[in-house]
Amino acid sequence: MRKQQTNKGDFILIFVELCKHTTYPMITWGRGFTSKVERSCRTDEVITKMAALGTARCLLRSCSGVKNVQRSKQILMRSGARTFCSETQDKAATDHAKPQFTDSAVQDILTRITSLDLQKVYRPIKQELKPPTYKLMTDEQLEQAVELAKEQAKKLLQMPPVLPERKPISDVLCEDKILDGMDTAKYAFTDITYNIPHRERFIVVREPNGTLRKATWEERDRLIQVYFPKEGRKLTAPLLFKEENLKLVFSQDRHEDVLDLCLVQFEPDSSEYIKIHTATYEDLDKHGKYDLLRSTRHFGGMAWYLVNTRRVDGLIVDMLKRELLHDAVSLVSLFHMVHPHSESAREAASQQATGTDLLKIYAQRDSQRSGYIELALQAYEQTAVEGSAS
Amino acid sequence: MATSMKYIATFICRVSPSISHSVRQYQSRLQRLPARTCLSLSPFIHPRHSYCKAASLQDEAVAQATEALARYKDRPWDYLESEEYIERYGSSPVWADYRRNHKGGIPPQKTRKTCIRGDKICGNPCPICRDPNIIIHHQNVKLLQQFISPHTGMVLDSTRTGVCMKQQKQLNEAINTAQDHGLLSFQIPYVEFSGEDYSNSHDAVGSTPPPPSLTLGDNWYKWYGEILPDENEVAKVKKKYKAYLK
Repeated sequence: MRKQQTNKGDFILIFVELCKHTTYPMITWGRGFTSKVERSCRTDEVITKMAALGTARCLLRSCSGVKNVQRSKQILMRSGARTFCSETQDKAATDHAKPQFTDSAVQDILTRITSLDLQKVYRPIKQELKPPTYKLMTDEQLEQAVELAKEQAKKLLQMPPVLPERKPISDVLCEDKILDGMDTAKYAFTDITYNIPHRERFIVVREPNGTLRKATWEERDRLIQVYFPKEGRKLTAPLLFKEENLKLVFSQDRHEDVLDLCLVQFEPDSSEYIKIHTATYEDLDKHGKYDLLRSTRHFGGMAWYLVNTRRVDGLIVDMLKRELLHDAVSLVSLFHMVHPHSESAREAASQQATGTDLLKIYAQRDSQRSGYIELALQAYEQTAVEGSAS
Repeated sequence: MATSMKYIATFICRVSPSISHSVRQYQSRLQRLPARTCLSLSPFIHPRHSYCKAASLQDEAVAQATEALARYKDRPWDYLESEEYIERYGSSPVWADYRRNHKGGIPPQKTRKTCIRGDKICGNPCPICRDPNIIIHHQNVKLLQQFISPHTGMVLDSTRTGVCMKQQKQLNEAINTAQDHGLLSFQIPYVEFSGEDYSNSHDAVGSTPPPPSLTLGDNWYKWYGEILPDENEVAKVKKKYKAYLK
């Protein structure tokens, strides 16, 4: 990044050429659009024309929230800025911008696949009962109420974050050997200021041998739960998460409960969270019980996991059984987005296939259960033909 | 005496049908006993004779009752499938036909502390204490389910079910452990995930590099290592306190 100072005194960061290294967008989960622009790019060229500068600045500001670097590059190219291009420009983005879970395109596809079944989202839950309220509404008011309910349901179906596992904390702040053997117990000092986020809270531990170190993640979670208890979270993890109990719960088809409890109990980047989610998704995949999670907030996470581990067949078969062809097509397109070097992805890109052709290509190339997918596609085409004929 | 014998005998009949035949024999002998004693000439012998027999019968009954208890001790959930349970309760919950005895229309807000103190059992014991085969255990899900409201999912109060406070406490603990183990389902609160920063870039959770002096292999504090005193300073101090030095 090179900062260009204009005569107005502003600092503008301009990107013309993308570097060969991957760009990791800042994960500002839910913080909304800030003025943060992506870092870690190296630019070599600078636009010297002031008009081009102005347009580039406007365009960049407008797409500052977008994590996909490709688009900003294309916009700049289109704005007619004079660039000193090098050969590596074209390959850079497509090779190295691996789609993340937080990308808007990925999120779009996942929300579409999750669908919205109002009956399932608003099914009656066991809670404190109040006497019912009755409202007299016109048709318009009823429609408005239904729209409001749909908006609220979309908020309820917001997907929990999928993060890599957190690195363990093992920093020693001080080694006071003079305190060695003074006490037999560890002392944990927690900063209980109310207004700071838990991830910025300092928690340190003084060992009996005198070292002052930062608390480990488990200690942090436990102590924060002691001083700032969260609803539903326990100090020791529920025994439901042990192997035998998990098996029992899975046999009762209560995967959604397990995942909800996991969300309540563990942090999204902790190892237990990832382990339990993996175990649940594996079990779902083994038994083909994908419909349990459909129209819940966990479906997106499950689809993302299956796409990353290249085991989408079961889910596609399930979708075709329930005649959700558009969902199957979007899933295959997501698969191509995440694995652009697979055979089916390359062939689809070369043929510019859409719709059922995508499915056919996927079934021929990468699928293990190609027979079923092709049969289902044929059946769908037959019904489509009959429908158009009649 | 005869009536209590009869009660115990019927109880034994219900509990173990296999020995009911022999019990019936005993019963018939019991019924014949008073008639025989009336006819006999020595009145002071026959009471002892009948009491002996009655005492042995009572011991046997107690032994058989404890055996029944022990039978369900390891697998308390078997009792809820058994015939005697179905015959006694049917499909309604265990507390359905229980009625507390209290003065006035409004019952006291707390049920009694406990029904069984030592060996003595009170009159009108609560639904759990009156049936020794009902054992509160966290794996006995069917029984625990009877004490949870099907509409709200909350544990029913003891004023509603009539159980004594001790059993209510045990019930609460058992229901909590069952939910913990995943045997009972419950409503899980919804967690919001917006507005949280998971980048772990703050110093509190990120990695702080150690100070450069430490990486060289030095001690943390300078004075942890060898400190050699300054000769001049030592000489000055010695001179000052010369009078006190040996």
